[in-house]
Amino acid sequence: MSDVKQLVAQLFKSNHIPIPAHRMALFEQFIQNEQTQTAATIISQQQQALMARWKQEDKLATILEQPLRVANATVGKPYEAKVDFGQTNWNDIVAFQVEGLEQVGLAYDGTTKQITGVPTQSGDIKVVFKFKIEGEPQEAAFHEKPLTLIINPDPKSLWKNLPSDSTDPYWKEDAVTVLAPLSDRHILVSSKRGRSHANVGSFREDDFAFANLENGWSIVVISDGAGSAKLSRKGSAIACQSILAHFKDAASIESLIQFDELLQQHTANTGDDTQKKLNRFVYNTLGKAAFRAHKQLEAFAATAGVTLKDMSSTLVFTLFKKYEIGYALLSFGVGDCPAAVLNKDVSAVTLLNWIDVGEFGGGTRFITMPEIFQSDKFATRFSFKLVEDFSYLILMSDGIYDPKFVVEANLPNVKKWQEFLADLNGNNQDGVKVELRPDNEAIEEQFSRWMDFWSPGNHDDRTLAIVF
Amino acid sequence: MRRLPVYLVLDTSGSMTGEPIEAVKNGVQVMISSLRQNPQAIETAYISIITFDSTARQIVPLTDLASFQMVDIKATGTTNLGEALKLVSTCIDNEVTKTTAEQKGDWKPLVFIMTDGIPTDDWQSGLEEFKKRKTAYTVACAAGNAADSNLLKQITENVVSLDTADSQSIAKFFTWVSASIGVTSTKVEDAGKEVTGMSELPPPPSELNIVV
Repeated sequence: MSDVKQLVAQLFKSNHIPIPAHRMALFEQFIQNEQTQTAATIISQQQQALMARWKQEDKLATILEQPLRVANATVGKPYEAKVDFGQTNWNDIVAFQVEGLEQVGLAYDGTTKQITGVPTQSGDIKVVFKFKIEGEPQEAAFHEKPLTLIINPDPKSLWKNLPSDSTDPYWKEDAVTVLAPLSDRHILVSSKRGRSHANVGSFREDDFAFANLENGWSIVVISDGAGSAKLSRKGSAIACQSILAHFKDAASIESLIQFDELLQQHTANTGDDTQKKLNRFVYNTLGKAAFRAHKQLEAFAATAGVTLKDMSSTLVFTLFKKYEIGYALLSFGVGDCPAAVLNKDVSAVTLLNWIDVGEFGGGTRFITMPEIFQSDKFATRFSFKLVEDFSYLILMSDGIYDPKFVVEANLPNVKKWQEFLADLNGNNQDGVKVELRPDNEAIEEQFSRWMDFWSPGNHDDRTLAIVF
Repeated sequence: MRRLPVYLVLDTSGSMTGEPIEAVKNGVQVMISSLRQNPQAIETAYISIITFDSTARQIVPLTDLASFQMVDIKATGTTNLGEALKLVSTCIDNEVTKTTAEQKGDWKPLVFIMTDGIPTDDWQSGLEEFKKRKTAYTVACAAGNAADSNLLKQITENVVSLDTADSQSIAKFFTWVSASIGVTSTKVEDAGKEVTGMSELPPPPSELNIVV
């Protein structure tokens, strides 16, 4: 059956016009008629056009209702993204443009079909996606689809750096970095307010102290005031200063002389149980100092009308002295500030304390807690180490430990310390290098810059003391 | 880096049709935009969206704020809260990193639940599962008077209610959620401490009634 005949038969049928058998000949003539042929062709063409137009509309509607997604961008960060059409059939789209990108530093590249550039401003940017679909005439106007491009602010730009209130009675400098001679070595130490404090103009809560004592002893102390305690900035200062004061007392100087004798006996193998005696000596001598710090904090809290808890601070200190046979290092620690000594060629690390880390964050212990002095673990907070020589003696607060060592399990691993030293030596994102030489005139400036390293989620106060 | 996981568990049952569902969508969007301006939140907070109607779905897996994109949600079907509680439990198991000797895990997750009706499934069995997971805190919001705040009290002690589930009240709820996430992320970053209850969160606006 010809197309024309089929079309007309279908038309008649749907309009209930029967063609009885005796009219079949006439119908055949009717089909062959030129006018009929022309009319049928026009009808057929119109039908095709109708269907095509509908398909087009349907495609367009499908594209328009699809969520158009493009990955979020960040100010200052090179951006490269393909426009993701989700379920939409990409093949239907024959031409498109993206408008509204230029003002934020981005551009659409028609050949790679990518949006690229470095965003210059943050916000929810309204972009217009213009497109044509297959089968549309060349001169047809573009269809438009709105697209929201989210540009995040540069996280670094969100941090404010507000100075702390210098008229506060317990104020301390927001940042301190010093190089000084210590024993037959030098100490480089920096203590900086964390970004979380700088952001709101609050105080540095970490503190440190160091000194050369009588008879060849030297001491390094660091303390980290708890973020949740309102006067911990004063607590950490008192903790450091009272330790220093304690070892400058005549009684302490006297007492430390005994250590020389004990050590002599120990190394010459002339006494009994010398190891035990040394340990007991360290426990007694350093224990007194720690308890004194606790008592001073208690006394201060009472006069200032605050609770001891308001002064919550960790405390770690190391006394060291050079003998002919090497260096003796006596340490005490409560809280999560590691202290360690590295041997001459940095091939071994000796930890001087263990750190209090809770099952989850915030489980640390403070020198202000009376219970630490009664705990079975108290005796384990002390250490005595005798080392032939050392390259670095390092004490740090958790503001350094958390980003650089992350977990306790990394502390005994000398590789991590080697990486840490390499980091100090410039092997870091910003290429900031600290040349650890006492004659380096820029050392404080270099170290201060290094201390500002960026580590997402780690914006606590940072204190790092290196004896080298 | 320790992430602060946040789960938003949202009712998308048929009764939420119209103004409420639009307000929820809008609320999430405004919340995300405002958290993006908070330096601590943008580095720490990770958001996931779980919706529940006749089934529960995690429509956005745990995603950092910078990459987060809200997906379209529609209101339809019943209120399978139990299934949602089960799903949030499995999501916590799969997505939240635990602390071990070798790695520092994530902070304990925050869970915000919002519903405008009574659960239509066996919600107690879902609750049993959920109770086995540790969260820093869970806040449930009874939106409008068809929700049962006493029932929500069995899920968490932190329950707030909205008198009506209109767009203004819902918007206020999300503003408060946003402020709570902000405060919590600041606290974990600054003091290294988790927030454990509603008493440490910013006071809710007057549209939010604290259910005691």
